[in-house]
Amino acid sequence: MKKITVLSLIIFSISIFLSQGLSANNQISALQILEKADNVINAPKDQALTIKLVLIDKKGKEKIRKMSMLQKGSDKRIVKFLSPADQKGIAFLSLPKDVMYFYLPAFKKVRRIASHVKNTKFAGTDFSYEDMEAIRFADKYNSKLLKTEENAYVLQLDPKKGIKTEYSKLIMWVRTDNFYPVMIEHYNKGKKLYKIMRRSKIEKINEYWISKESEMEDLRKKHKTKMIISDVKFDSNLSDAKFSKRYLSR
Amino acid sequence: MKNKKFFILICLIFLFSFTPILNAQEDESSEKELKWSGYFQTDNRLLLENGNKFSWKEYRLDLKAEVKPLEKVHFYSELWVRSLGFSNVQSSIDLVDRNKISPWDLVIKEAYVDLLGVVSDNIDIRIGKQRVAWGTGDKLNPTDNLNPNDLEDIWDFGRHLGSDGIKISFYPGDFTIVLVYFPQFTPSILPLGDLAAALSPSGDLPDGIIVGNLSDKIILPENNIKEGSITGIKVSKSILDFDLSLSYVHTRDSLPLLNKSVLTPTAIPGTVDIYSELIFPELNIVGADLAGALGQIGVWAEVAVTFPEEIMMISDLTSLGMGMFDSIALDNKPYVKYVIGADYTFKNGIYLNFQYLHGFVHERGAENLEDYFMFGMEWELMDKKIKIMPLTGGIEIKDFKDLKNNYAFIYSPSITFKPIDNIEISLGIRLLDGKDSTVFGKVKDLDEVFFGLKFNF
Repeated sequence: MKKITVLSLIIFSISIFLSQGLSANNQISALQILEKADNVINAPKDQALTIKLVLIDKKGKEKIRKMSMLQKGSDKRIVKFLSPADQKGIAFLSLPKDVMYFYLPAFKKVRRIASHVKNTKFAGTDFSYEDMEAIRFADKYNSKLLKTEENAYVLQLDPKKGIKTEYSKLIMWVRTDNFYPVMIEHYNKGKKLYKIMRRSKIEKINEYWISKESEMEDLRKKHKTKMIISDVKFDSNLSDAKFSKRYLSR
Repeated sequence: MKNKKFFILICLIFLFSFTPILNAQEDESSEKELKWSGYFQTDNRLLLENGNKFSWKEYRLDLKAEVKPLEKVHFYSELWVRSLGFSNVQSSIDLVDRNKISPWDLVIKEAYVDLLGVVSDNIDIRIGKQRVAWGTGDKLNPTDNLNPNDLEDIWDFGRHLGSDGIKISFYPGDFTIVLVYFPQFTPSILPLGDLAAALSPSGDLPDGIIVGNLSDKIILPENNIKEGSITGIKVSKSILDFDLSLSYVHTRDSLPLLNKSVLTPTAIPGTVDIYSELIFPELNIVGADLAGALGQIGVWAEVAVTFPEEIMMISDLTSLGMGMFDSIALDNKPYVKYVIGADYTFKNGIYLNFQYLHGFVHERGAENLEDYFMFGMEWELMDKKIKIMPLTGGIEIKDFKDLKNNYAFIYSPSITFKPIDNIEISLGIRLLDGKDSTVFGKVKDLDEVFFGLKFNF
């Protein structure tokens, strides 16, 4: 009898411990989820990628663009167009504090991008210049946990005061197992859903998670842009100097 | 002996400069291969009046070659092979001259080698024929004075010739310092055909005198370091939301200035032959520019203060029994050219651009600088397949006090169609009007339609 009581106590204690653990897990805050998501997508110290963009119009017609991209940390990114020929050499640099430049080889000039350009389409794709910025969402958005689905946390992100953005809010689906954001709904200033980004082919390369294919869909224009990533290199010690106007024009 | 030591020193500096290149880690094989790219472009223009004469015909093949044989070495060149203009056959002998039947030319736009971080990590050196584009304005750049202007086609604003020389860029901290040295002076190319009238100065002769033969002589500066070289320095830095630069250029005006006229009577009473001499005045230009944003609107400004040398004009009328007269062709008083501009892109893709320019490229002296209001509007439709430019043009004001007699305008709407990647078909019209005293008023009879195709490869 004594043995049974002790065993019951042990089981009870374990249950209490487990339930507390589970409830702590349930109580993971929206901010913690978002920070974890930021950490996952920005985990590598630096990354070098080749990107193929497939622009698909409402009739299913495709156009292809190729770019190379370097990123350091979560706030420095440089993108250079490799094709098509009429866009080859155009380059785009994103730096901390919303500073962006682009280089137009035809004019041999590096030009700062004013904020009105940030809301426009990046080279005819469904990504805007803002979408192409290297960012940490937690720095720009306040987060709210809307619900927890079987495999994903669903967050609502509202722009922080003073943040310039084309979006009134984002709804983000973050995987529960690895905190990778798999889908983001973008709402315009009129609070209407107008773009959805979906990430797929999420793989672990070395110790980092990466989505090798993502798609941005413009619901109004029924136009999609697929971003297919290849030639991924992580942590190759890219110097800060590579993320400068000097390198942008090379 | 001293010279010999200096020569050895220079050789040693070069040797040490190139050693890191030889030791540099080689880049990936793709960058080591020579890459070709470029475009083919046609440009045809047809006058709306004058019997619908073709006013321009250009078929241009642009060829760019680029290679990065080593991590820190980059070679780039750009050539134009062009069929430009119309058959210029005057007599039967010309019919054996291919160039007169179908004129063509070859232009080396640029050809240079970059040594990237070779001498020091923070120094890039570019040697060869190159374009150094300074200024933040949109194609109208008062501080862009290192390369001579290429005014062959005045509607292609901002076009310059490449210059042979060296550019050294330093990157200390947040600053960028650029030094440029072009050893030889090169004059500008003047407008081709009827467009030459736009930039020609209007000269007055006494009543009753008719011009017979006109001849002139261009006096180039001595081909030495003191007389012919062009130097420039620019310091740039980003402060808050703005990119700022200060620059200084020592150069010569690349457009010639008349400094001597000799009038000689001919056998026909009342008719004189005129012989002129033209020179290229020395200029010191201090410039500043900025680019950034005010709220959501992109803004830029550029100012150039020119300190010219004083040039006297000699009018030799001794053959007419009237003696010689001196006057000032170019005052040494500084004058200020500037441009301010703004642009904005709406969510629906409409792009607006506005610039106010004080002092066009050929204008000299504070009293002779005119005002230009340039504007542009672009609207991209159907996934960028169609670009409409319904509001492109400008207004020129020569004198605000007498506006009625001193204005001109250009209105040039156009449409571009991109059926597939790399192909662009364009069609537009250019309407000009204004008073004869103005730059664009002088060519007001040259209203034209233009159409062209561009294929990038």
